[in-house]
Amino acid sequence: MTATPATIARATRADGAIQVAATDCFHCGEPLPAVPARLRLDGAERAFCCDGCAAAAQWIRDARLDDYYRLRSELATRVSVDQSDIALWDRAEVLDEHARNVPGGRELTLLTDGMRCAACAWLIDRALTREPGVLEVNANAVTGRIRIAWDPARTSLSSPLRRLMALGYRPYLATGEARERARRSERNRWLLRLGVAGLGAMQAMMFAEALYLDTSGSMSHALRDFLRWVTFLVATPVVFYAGWPFLAGCARELRHRSPGMDTLIATSTLLAYFASLVETLRGGPQVWYDAAVMFVFLLLAARMLEQRVRNVATAQVDALARARPAFATREREDGSRELVPLAALMVDDVACIAAGEAVPADGVLLDGEAGFEESLLTGEAHAVHKTAGMPVFAGTVCRERPARMRVTATGSATRLSQLAHLVEQAQAHRPPLAQAADRIASWFVFAMLAVAALTFLGWRAYEPARAFEVALAVLVISCPCALSLSVPAALAAANGALAKLGVLPLRPDALDRLARASDVVFDKTGTLSDGKPWLVEADTFGGMDRVRALRIAAALERDSGHPLAQAFSDVQAEAESASNLIAIAGHGIEGSLGADRWRLGHAPYACGGEDDGALWLGDGRQAFARFVVRERERVDARAALDALRHEGIAVHLCSGDAHAAVDRLATTLGITEANPRQTPEAKLAYVRQLQQQGRRVAMVGDGLNDAPVLAGADVSIAMGEGAALAQRAADLVLASPALIRIPAAIALARDTRRIVRQNFGWALGYNLLALPLAMAGVVSPWMAALGMALSSLVVTLNALRLARGNTTSVESPLLDGAAAEVRA
Amino acid sequence: MNILLLLVPLSLMLLLLAIGAFVWAVKRGQFDDLDTPGLDILVDDDEPPASGQEDRDAD
Repeated sequence: MTATPATIARATRADGAIQVAATDCFHCGEPLPAVPARLRLDGAERAFCCDGCAAAAQWIRDARLDDYYRLRSELATRVSVDQSDIALWDRAEVLDEHARNVPGGRELTLLTDGMRCAACAWLIDRALTREPGVLEVNANAVTGRIRIAWDPARTSLSSPLRRLMALGYRPYLATGEARERARRSERNRWLLRLGVAGLGAMQAMMFAEALYLDTSGSMSHALRDFLRWVTFLVATPVVFYAGWPFLAGCARELRHRSPGMDTLIATSTLLAYFASLVETLRGGPQVWYDAAVMFVFLLLAARMLEQRVRNVATAQVDALARARPAFATREREDGSRELVPLAALMVDDVACIAAGEAVPADGVLLDGEAGFEESLLTGEAHAVHKTAGMPVFAGTVCRERPARMRVTATGSATRLSQLAHLVEQAQAHRPPLAQAADRIASWFVFAMLAVAALTFLGWRAYEPARAFEVALAVLVISCPCALSLSVPAALAAANGALAKLGVLPLRPDALDRLARASDVVFDKTGTLSDGKPWLVEADTFGGMDRVRALRIAAALERDSGHPLAQAFSDVQAEAESASNLIAIAGHGIEGSLGADRWRLGHAPYACGGEDDGALWLGDGRQAFARFVVRERERVDARAALDALRHEGIAVHLCSGDAHAAVDRLATTLGITEANPRQTPEAKLAYVRQLQQQGRRVAMVGDGLNDAPVLAGADVSIAMGEGAALAQRAADLVLASPALIRIPAAIALARDTRRIVRQNFGWALGYNLLALPLAMAGVVSPWMAALGMALSSLVVTLNALRLARGNTTSVESPLLDGAAAEVRA
Repeated sequence: MNILLLLVPLSLMLLLLAIGAFVWAVKRGQFDDLDTPGLDILVDDDEPPASGQEDRDAD
């Protein structure tokens, strides 16, 4: 899921609940405006960023659901008051296509974007169940899906959905429902197999124990055979039902003539099972059912864990796939409008997007201006302002006012689909390291079969009675499962953790290359500065008091909502609000404070002077004050650079900007290697020069016009707007411009490399150590099965440490410090 | 030891019962979401919602 920077930087209390800084909205954690809405909640006065959040919190309190605030481990999404498109859900076309009939009413599955933790699912469950006419609600925080059943006679679907939206969860039609169902039934099948294997293995072990304990041979043959047959009965479903994936895998591998892990597993299991059956039939001295069932059970558990890791990693792809609406509004030649299924929308059609609706396809904005929220592509919740002729992307959400667009790409040709595809590809691709492990495992299988056969022959000459048992133990113990699991499990876990950080790996080996980086080169000043204005100088003229000038400017900016308002946010504004405000784009703002009329803007507008890039306060003729406003470095820039240096990584800055700007930024951030006025060629040369010195360079850019430089670096990271995300030049993409994620991603990459090495070492060491023991006949088959499967479990659990993100370097004090700084 | 002839089949019956219960639970979706239900026990009371719930001023 794409998280906003706020959720990353949030400190989590020991019990999992979130603490919100006093300057942020209690509900969604966004910064508070000058006059926040206030509400008494949870025994304290809380402040909210907007009426939507306050209303949601009030409803939650009144419904006695305020436990939500204690239970949640992630902040909520900002509540939008705009509910214009909600009536769409009552349309017959939507319901006919997507709703199912259930006893007493209808049922529909929705997707929502704001469900970030289990507490959200809890809240949605409770809140919607209380709506009149709602029969059943089932919210799943893992899949982000809500199943809702309602009685059409008592309520329309839109009324519970309105409640859902008022809580900040925007409903989407659940596309890919079939895929999700398939995945769920697949998971259930695995669970069943695991359950059968676990219960069966326990029983089989119990009977086997009874047989083992008969050390003096005093048990009657009839009883012994009875127990063996019962064990056979219990072991059969375990081997053939629970163990079916291994048997099928073995058959597949043999068909492709590339014996792998499954061949060894299936061979060992079947050998143990059938040899036991033969012994049971002819009343031989020993059976090995227990080894067979235990092997199946423990390996299933290991595989199940690996799949879990994988599923976490694909959640990101799902979030990308969910954003497409099911219907689009097309404008006919004559200007009338019709609702068409998404598939019917063609290139060059004109599509209308209502406010709050998701854009159905890629296209060009036709008239006027509109805001688009590209949170899905960038992780930023704020709308991006666009004017006619600018590209808009499928999956982004139109805000504020309706828009018209000419379609340029539909379906799988959209940026969104390409991005989802890229991420999917990167995750599905087996990197060279994993392929090497597979190849090793493959010849390992041959070698092991040969070793087992030799052991059998050797023991047959020496002690024929134990020959089979020892050969079986060798076969079981030598299975290179741990070896094969070590790399994919670690990579899958790392991909999941990266996605949680908001970093998407686009190339399969990106993580590996990121781990080797020794230098980070920032490609633009813009990657380090946040584009937000900051007041650095204030001069006054004509008897104006400095404090008063600042207060007037702050009041004008505050009440006009001008972007420059942030520069004055630290200043105590005039208590009185400005009236008769006029904002002239590109010039400035004009407004009345008491009896005086003020102008704030560039010099020609404010005081009729020469434009010098500064901000002037005047009355149109005379100047009273001059403010110098500059962009500031990103709040997390210093912390990110410190964290990078802490990891032993050198930081460079290559920028096309002028000396003054670059030097200022470099001095502030303590970058010694700063190079101003660089052309793309010069940047590339700089990177090459570093590489010749044996450095591994990671390049951070916006991925738009610096493709050659990004491609020339050892590993490249793109950060920036939605469009840039689909650029293929970058190896990794930062879903939102939070610099602190770069050192976090590098630390994670290094952890991954470390864990892969640990896993490799463990798996190889285990096999090398255990094999001679097994060949010497010290290990019985069931001990071999236990040891083998335990080593697989160990590598998988070791890999899971990455997914939890609590490896040491990710939670370094530096990052915590950075989080504190962002909060402050 | 003849008691085993009764006890062993009995244990097999229990095994079938356990597997049946597990299959039922999996099919009913008991394992679909393992996080949310865990929160329920952290909430102490099930008091009826206040009357304020009915007004729709939050909409």
